[in-house]
Amino acid sequence: MNKVLLADDDVELCTMLKQYLETEGFQVGMVHDGKAALQQARSGRFDMMVLDIMMPQLNGLDVLRELRKASLLPVLMLTARSEDVDSIIGLEVGADDYLAKPCNPRVLVARIRALLRRVQPQVSMENAVDEPETLTVGDLVMHTGSREVVLGKKPVVMTSTEYGILEVLVKAAGHVVSKADLSEQALGRSLSRYDRSVDMHVSNLRRKLGTDESGEERIMTVRGKGYQYLCH
Amino acid sequence: MHKLFWKIFLSFWISLVLFAAASLVAVSVYLEHTHARQDQETPRESYVAHLESARAVAEREGREGLTRWATRLDRSEAIPHLLIDESGNELLGRKISPGLAVRLKRQAQRSGELARNFRALRRGEIKLPDGDRYRLVPDFQGATLGRALSRPRVIAIPLLVAAVISGLVCFFLVRYLTTPIRRLSNAVRQFTDGDMDKRVTPSMGRRRDEIADLAREFDRMAGRLQVLIQSQQQLINDVSHELRSPLARLQVALGLARQKQLHENNPELDRIEREAESLNELIGQLLSLARLDSKAEPASRARINLDELLGEVVENADYEAAATNRHVCISETTQASLEGDETVLRSALENVVRNAVRYTEEGTQVNLRLRFTSPLQDWVEIQVMDKGPGVPDEMLKRLFEPFIRVDDARDRESGGYGLGLAIAKRAIDMHGGEIDAVNQKHGGLRVSIRLPAA
Repeated sequence: MNKVLLADDDVELCTMLKQYLETEGFQVGMVHDGKAALQQARSGRFDMMVLDIMMPQLNGLDVLRELRKASLLPVLMLTARSEDVDSIIGLEVGADDYLAKPCNPRVLVARIRALLRRVQPQVSMENAVDEPETLTVGDLVMHTGSREVVLGKKPVVMTSTEYGILEVLVKAAGHVVSKADLSEQALGRSLSRYDRSVDMHVSNLRRKLGTDESGEERIMTVRGKGYQYLCH
Repeated sequence: MHKLFWKIFLSFWISLVLFAAASLVAVSVYLEHTHARQDQETPRESYVAHLESARAVAEREGREGLTRWATRLDRSEAIPHLLIDESGNELLGRKISPGLAVRLKRQAQRSGELARNFRALRRGEIKLPDGDRYRLVPDFQGATLGRALSRPRVIAIPLLVAAVISGLVCFFLVRYLTTPIRRLSNAVRQFTDGDMDKRVTPSMGRRRDEIADLAREFDRMAGRLQVLIQSQQQLINDVSHELRSPLARLQVALGLARQKQLHENNPELDRIEREAESLNELIGQLLSLARLDSKAEPASRARINLDELLGEVVENADYEAAATNRHVCISETTQASLEGDETVLRSALENVVRNAVRYTEEGTQVNLRLRFTSPLQDWVEIQVMDKGPGVPDEMLKRLFEPFIRVDDARDRESGGYGLGLAIAKRAIDMHGGEIDAVNQKHGGLRVSIRLPAA
């Protein structure tokens, strides 16, 4: 059973959400301030965290920033709707996904499931055996089993969402992948209005991967179409 | 109190008095100087000196040289020295006063008597090479104030003094007056442009006059406005955020209620969900309107491809509109880009397009056009045309006000114009553009957005 950590300062909301999520089959832990959120997130007892930005002591962004120094725990950010800045910063700092609050709990559950599916390798899938052990393009090697990325000889640390996007791009290396496809295959949901998640994740990936031997970006933006992982 | 009044009054007054005094001093100095020279070398000595140089000039340069010399002397000497020939005509055509004429006649008679004995000393006689004879006669009575003032050298000094003094006084006075006013008007402009922290009193230094008072009053007003506007924005912000907490709980409670009656269709719950969603939408719009109102300039500027942005907006809107059997398409487009805040512009376009979709008849489509309005390509226009009922002409201008209701009966049904067009207008204003609406000839509303291209 998946364990979800809810970090939100609205105690009543948390209690109701806990009840909702439990009915949906999750185990839920609750914290109501930033410090406790950071502590619990680091404890390793949870599979993911739902993190609200507005919290006392340490706000959600600071919690995420601290957490990302040592942990890749999947994080779903809750931001106030129309505060685009928060969501962009959230994704920059390393959130796997974000959701505007107030949100429909059904949507929240769908997002949580999509996120968890990404993190947990598809062991249960029947055709998992057919998947190759490694994907290689140039000096980039991806181990699909352990979900590790090695560049040259050095391992690259990335969140599971970033890994997911890179995997989709690398599998289609040399071809353009549309944002909508990236969103569906890597984030597990269809692209919605205002949605800059894919762009933010790609820009994080670029920062982490750096340029290739010839000094070019590894992931090219194809205007109006999508992204392409370049192979020479 | 009336510091500035006295400053201006005294500056002008003193500069006028100084001017008058300077001219008087200049004239009297000149006259005294003339007298002093006469005292020093006696009229006779200076006369002899003039006579000698006149003779030398006449011998060397003839009549023309003598005329030049006489003109020069007339300009520099307070006492006129006349050159009179034997028939009583003056060389330069100057008037010979009656007193002098009488004296000359008497002298002529006397010199006639003494002619033989004092040939060499024949009074002031200058021989020209052509044989004409002139006499140099000083006219002591002719040294009047009028003559002194009309000498160019005399008039030049006070004029110069006046120009310098009044020039200096006026320069400093004007600078003293306009510098703080310019500072003040700059501050007002910056304040209007949204820099609410702008204050001017510190730049006034130790000034204590009407302008400093004005600056202080401006600062007081600016402070008061800032507090009022900020508290209002804060209120809207707080209210909106506070409304969201119960809304978030409402949505979760709704979810719980649905969980309890699994697979059962419940129209009431659907209705509650829909209303909660539109309430949430409204709060979001209220927040973005408040945010747009607080800024006069875009928060961030980046190069935006307008055709691309419009394409994305239309694609999304078309997808949404298809659910109600309406369509959105672009009938004309061009490559255009501008500098601005993409999020803000996008929401402006979305609001205008969504509004058109709401009003266009079922089964029809909303048409968009993107083009340059001038051959210079410095203004780009986006037209959004629906096939709806249009708007009464007198309401066209008010369409961009928040919560405007054009037709009570219909708006209640459709939800009214709400905040969408108001948000669009703020966003377009912020980018230095304009937006307006007209009824098309063949029915339907056309909203035009014009933006400066870059």
